[in-house]
Amino acid sequence: MEEKNKAIGKGVSRIEGILKITGKATYATDYPAKNMAYAVLFKSTIASGTITSLDTSAAEKSQGVLAVITHKNAPKLNLKGGLRGGALLQSPEILFHGQHIGIVVAQSFEQATHAAHLIHVEYQKKEGKTDFDKLLPNAEMPKGKELADLVRGDAKAAFENAAVRVEEIYETPIEHHHPMEPHSTVAVWEGEQLTLYNGSQIINGAQTAAASTLNLKPEQVRIISPFIGGGFGSKGGQWANLVLTAVAAKMVNRPVKLALTRQQMFNSVGLRQRNHQKISLGASKDGILQSLSHQTTSHTAVDSEYLEPCGDCSKIMYEVPNSLISYRVVPMNVILPTYTRGPGKSTGSFALESAMDELAYKLNIDPIELRLKNEPKKDPSNGKPWSSRKVVECLKEGAKAFGWDKRKAEPGTNKIGDDLVGYGVACGTYPARQRDSSAVIKLTKKGNNVNATVEIAASDLGTGTNTILAQTAADGLGLAMENITVKLGDSNLPPAAGSVGSVGAASFANAVNDACTKITDELLAKSGKQFFVRPTAKDLMISENVSAFETRADAKAPTQADQYSAHSFNANFAEVRVNALTGMVKVTRFLAVTGAGRILNPKTARSQIIGGNIWGIGMALSEESIIDPRWGNFATRSFADYHVPTNFDIGKLDAMFINEEDKIPNKMGVKGIGEVGIVGVAAAVANAVFNATGKRIRHLPITPDKLL
Amino acid sequence: MRPFKYTNTNSSSDAINLLIKNPNASYLAGGTNLIDLMKEDVEKPNELIDLTRLALTKIALLPTGQNGISIGALGKNTEAANHPMIREQYPLLSKAILAGASAQIRNMATNGGNLLQRTRCSYFYDTAMPCNKRNPGSGCAAKDGFNRMHAIFGWSEECVAVYPSDMAVALSALDANIKVIQPDGKFRSISIHDFHRLPEQQPELDNTLKRGELISSIELPKNDFANHSAYIKVRDRNSYAFALVSVAAGVVLNGNRIVSAHIAMGGVAHKPWRARKAEALLKGKMATVANFELAAQAEMEQAKPLAQNKFKVAMGKNTIVSALSMATKGT
Repeated sequence: MEEKNKAIGKGVSRIEGILKITGKATYATDYPAKNMAYAVLFKSTIASGTITSLDTSAAEKSQGVLAVITHKNAPKLNLKGGLRGGALLQSPEILFHGQHIGIVVAQSFEQATHAAHLIHVEYQKKEGKTDFDKLLPNAEMPKGKELADLVRGDAKAAFENAAVRVEEIYETPIEHHHPMEPHSTVAVWEGEQLTLYNGSQIINGAQTAAASTLNLKPEQVRIISPFIGGGFGSKGGQWANLVLTAVAAKMVNRPVKLALTRQQMFNSVGLRQRNHQKISLGASKDGILQSLSHQTTSHTAVDSEYLEPCGDCSKIMYEVPNSLISYRVVPMNVILPTYTRGPGKSTGSFALESAMDELAYKLNIDPIELRLKNEPKKDPSNGKPWSSRKVVECLKEGAKAFGWDKRKAEPGTNKIGDDLVGYGVACGTYPARQRDSSAVIKLTKKGNNVNATVEIAASDLGTGTNTILAQTAADGLGLAMENITVKLGDSNLPPAAGSVGSVGAASFANAVNDACTKITDELLAKSGKQFFVRPTAKDLMISENVSAFETRADAKAPTQADQYSAHSFNANFAEVRVNALTGMVKVTRFLAVTGAGRILNPKTARSQIIGGNIWGIGMALSEESIIDPRWGNFATRSFADYHVPTNFDIGKLDAMFINEEDKIPNKMGVKGIGEVGIVGVAAAVANAVFNATGKRIRHLPITPDKLL
Repeated sequence: MRPFKYTNTNSSSDAINLLIKNPNASYLAGGTNLIDLMKEDVEKPNELIDLTRLALTKIALLPTGQNGISIGALGKNTEAANHPMIREQYPLLSKAILAGASAQIRNMATNGGNLLQRTRCSYFYDTAMPCNKRNPGSGCAAKDGFNRMHAIFGWSEECVAVYPSDMAVALSALDANIKVIQPDGKFRSISIHDFHRLPEQQPELDNTLKRGELISSIELPKNDFANHSAYIKVRDRNSYAFALVSVAAGVVLNGNRIVSAHIAMGGVAHKPWRARKAEALLKGKMATVANFELAAQAEMEQAKPLAQNKFKVAMGKNTIVSALSMATKGT
């Protein structure tokens, strides 16, 4: 993987690491502004109805308060401007519990918080749609065309005729993104120009959504977001808090800072919806799949639709002649769900890969063997050839590295003291795509010292984007990494795709690489010379004595990419210990083996994969948000109730990458790793729990009570 | 957070007088629970009287003749858990403290404050919800709601909350006494068993402290099961989560025969739940898993679980058996 004298492929530490550990990295709320005022949101305490009275008089008189903004005095905003989740203070109507109903702006955060407690609201309540279980039978067809039923052959008949069948319901609960940095914004107006310091996974998307919602031109809005303290999808689309900060700043004519509290994060920035998934698998006696149905019912907001595509893995993972993938949806008085790490694939793979494990058990064959038997030669959903697919290698090399041969096939037979030990395996996948992105390279020379600046409106979620772009530019220009400055996270820079859907590395690195190639070509042309060996941009700057030179490249995916099916794939291996008396589970070992094309930086890549694994373990064992249907509120409302994994929950983690050269999806051969790291993880853990205990838990999370 | 006045003093009598003068004042020690509750607008004191300068932090032997130790109320949880005397003579207490919260919180939290933790029932924390503990007479949202974490023993129609401390569960098994300074300056001693109360018709009262009383120390009598004790906490993740069920157990053995068993449970009631029935059944019996199971079964038969926490009955039984087995095995 590592090439001599090349930066790409080296496990380089994050170039901004020192800034982060010394507290010098400027996240959104770290931007100082003269005369800053502080905004606090207040929220509805009903799920459905209308505000009949909103008494803000005590709050307005409270010390330090500059303004109280509600639907009564908020400026008219464009509700179709591209923000997610509504709650823009445009009407007294309440569509979900915790909808923003106003903002208090004060001299200090404490004053604003105090004043918010003094606001008295009365409502005309309506019966809310808050009980998913009760609404389930009335689920509707989704509006999105991509979610129409996908039918191949006759799944029902093939299932009924199959020699061996598995048909089960798998449930995953509401989960939250909860990045360490809560969503926060500093808004600064200078005349009609607005600057928004705001963690944004899609810089240009945040810019256009904010501008459009505020009825401004995009060039009037600048987004600055050099560092993001995690997002996991919740900072992909932007939410009301971004624009409401700008509204508040305009109204008080001062810069305003607004940071959501952890409690507000539960119902302000989307969530992973609850999914009710029915899987029907039919196979021949020797384990050849005949039929696969994956039918998902989820909920969405009452006024807007988002469904995570749980059937995506089922579309492409296995060779099967008869298949049905379907979605149904229940509108609920709950905040709009949104993209959440491994959207659809993480939850969908839990259902599919648990069912495959159940099938293997029924057939009495090894779960790895079952997967190998059903490996598809081309994409079964559209007949396209794979650009590359290394599932077999992931399974075989993973099994060897993990010691799969030590697994006892019969559940409940591997006991150490009071602990039952189990091994589980599950596969995962995520599409590999390159999106349009532009980059500018600026070269300068002083003496024989050449430096480069890379400019691109990319974002770095904390995953290492800065670093991989410096590596790409170093190799592309013939420079050392320390001579590269990367500028990203600013909408004034050349437009780029977002750090979403695992497109970031491919889109940004190809743009930078194209700009490097282009600048070298242009320097060559400028020199008018012929060279035996192509010189680097650095060589040319020196030999041609150029003091400054720059160029811009607008990169697009290769045109032939569409003719192939391009995805990252993985195999996950889990070892768990379950205390037979208390039901407590610990994942003692976890191995993710991934085939994701070229790995630009094995160190940051490993971090990203194990980060996904950890969330997947949380998904398997502890993360769950519960709505009390009587009020539509979250009964789980803080980190005391919503259990993300702690260090003590995580055993030994290992990430392996399969060597894979695949230049079909993009010239750099990068497939993306951000999403795939969580896909298949929960199923691997659940399958290991079954192997340990003989108990098949189909309703996540696997808390101790379910194992007694 | 509402505005409040901050006062500090290094005299306990001043602190008591200040508190009695202002019916809306609260004592402040580590603040790890009170400040959170103020941020949530659940607790609304208009004055905080900071106790952290009071010289009530020492861990020391009780005077000769009393046989035991005294733990200063304002000492930090971390210090108590790691103190050599406690680790040697009361390892059960050390284990229970370390099973609670996080290292950062234990560094701030005081021993007295730990006793005064309020319930973590999420309806208690959410001011938009009814809660008789927070707002007497408003109703109990948990009784027919999300009550997976809630009580199976001793609850009332008014409140089904559980008391969250781990430390206090060990203190119950250790028969601790809570020493308090009364407003008249005299001391009184309250048994840990009488310190916390069941909710009955007044769930707003967590304990039997009177207004103005200030905890000065926790006294632990000598025991004979230091090497035969165990604390097991069952929870939704392996650290930093409140107990679904926890058990503190100590057994005094004569060979393999149980002289006395000391069992307290957490996560099951509005106070640490002393398993008296199980203890009575074990007295004089052989320390076998079969006997542990019979005793645990008898204790848990008294449980009245709610709609979502029926699992706590089996979990409680298993955890008692597991803790007794560990305690018998010894260290």
